[in-house]
This record gives sequence, C-alpha cells and structure tokens, in this order.
Amino acid sequence: MKEHTPDALARTTRVNLLFDFYESLLTDKQRTILTYYYHDDFSLGEIASEFGISRQAVYDNIKRAEAILESYEEKLALLAKHERLMEMTDKLERDVKAIVTNEWDKQSIIDAIEQFRAAEGTAREGGESSWQHLKA
Amino acid sequence: MAVRIRLKRMGAHKAPFYRVVVSDSRSPRDGRFIEEIGTYNPVAQPAQVSIDEEKALKWLQTGAQASDTVRDLLSKAGVLKKFHELKQQK
Repeated sequence: MKEHTPDALARTTRVNLLFDFYESLLTDKQRTILTYYYHDDFSLGEIASEFGISRQAVYDNIKRAEAILESYEEKLALLAKHERLMEMTDKLERDVKAIVTNEWDKQSIIDAIEQFRAAEGTAREGGESSWQHLKA
Repeated sequence: MAVRIRLKRMGAHKAPFYRVVVSDSRSPRDGRFIEEIGTYNPVAQPAQVSIDEEKALKWLQTGAQASDTVRDLLSKAGVLKKFHELKQQK
C-alpha cells in the first residue's frame, strides 16, 4: 500500500513547510502522526505498530491531515506569501550588496534585512533549536 | 536487527533542513542514530544535497533499508545507480 512516489522528497518538503504554518490547527493525533511520518521519516508500518493501529488507519490519517493543511493553504496562502517574501528579501540583499558602496550604509541595510528575516521566522543559518519542544 | 536509513528533520521553523541518518528500526524518535551519512537542504536555491557516498554504499550493501524519501535522495545523487552497478558485478 505504501505508494511508491518518485517525488517523495518534494512531498515531504511541502508537507513539512505547511505543517510549520498550520500545525496548531490540527488535532494532537494528527500532529503526532505527521511528525512521525514527515519529521522522522517512519514508514506506515512502523507507525502502525507504534500506535497499535492498522497501516490503513495510519495512511488515512496522514492523507486526511495533508488535505486539511492544503485546504488552509488554499484559503490563507501563508506559505506562498512567505516564500514570495523570502525571494524578494534575497533579491533585495543581493541588490544592496551590488549597488550600495558605502560600507556603513550597506551594513545597516543588511542588518535591517536580517531583522526582517528573523521577524518572518527564518533565521539565516538555521540551527536546530526550534524543534526541541516536539521531541518530548 | 533491521537497520534503516531515514531523513531526520532539523532546521529552524519554516526552514526545514534534513540529516540523512542510519538508525536501528527499534530505537525510535529519541534522536539516537548510528551514523550520519549526509544532509539535504530543500530551502536553498537550488536545493543542496550532500551524501557521503562511501558510507551510503557500505550501509546499502549490508542490507540497510532506505525510506522512500531517502531512496529518492540517493537516486538524485546517483548513489543508487552505483549501488546497482556494484550488485551487477558480483
């Protein structure tokens, strides 16, 4: 039943990003199962035996939770907006580096861009910090 | 003991980053793993993949099972092809 997906990676990346935005709108059970499947890359069978439910139940749960995430994205587009903002910010940074010649000005603009990124929730060199709370 | 190769999500909120790790199928989500054999950053443009080919091949040859996502990654990195070629030679 585990569908063989040539684009399993793309799927994982997308769901994990959607999960970052809309996680709090899912039930605890949906969050737990998605975390096992997409954060920790467990197979359906492994999750099934971990929770004592059938593989089919795990699969249905995952598909339902994914559909819910996608429906939020369709209505709110937070991820699409975030990606657009990040693209524009990167472009802005490149342009500033290329165009602004005064080092002092350049640095203060780049600092401001960094602050903007931090406010958007994406630090530049992603550490390992923010997922600790989920490991409990 | 079944050995699996999986992705492990790391990275900041809204900026996923993955490690490719080898772990025992029965040491679940406590973060312990046997060895890290690579990383994957899908947020970078273009996405960055780094795989320690030698280690990956060693684990595949000893029968470690890669998850769908890892298989996808290994095939993109050309490691799976090498693995099959090595198998043919035997």
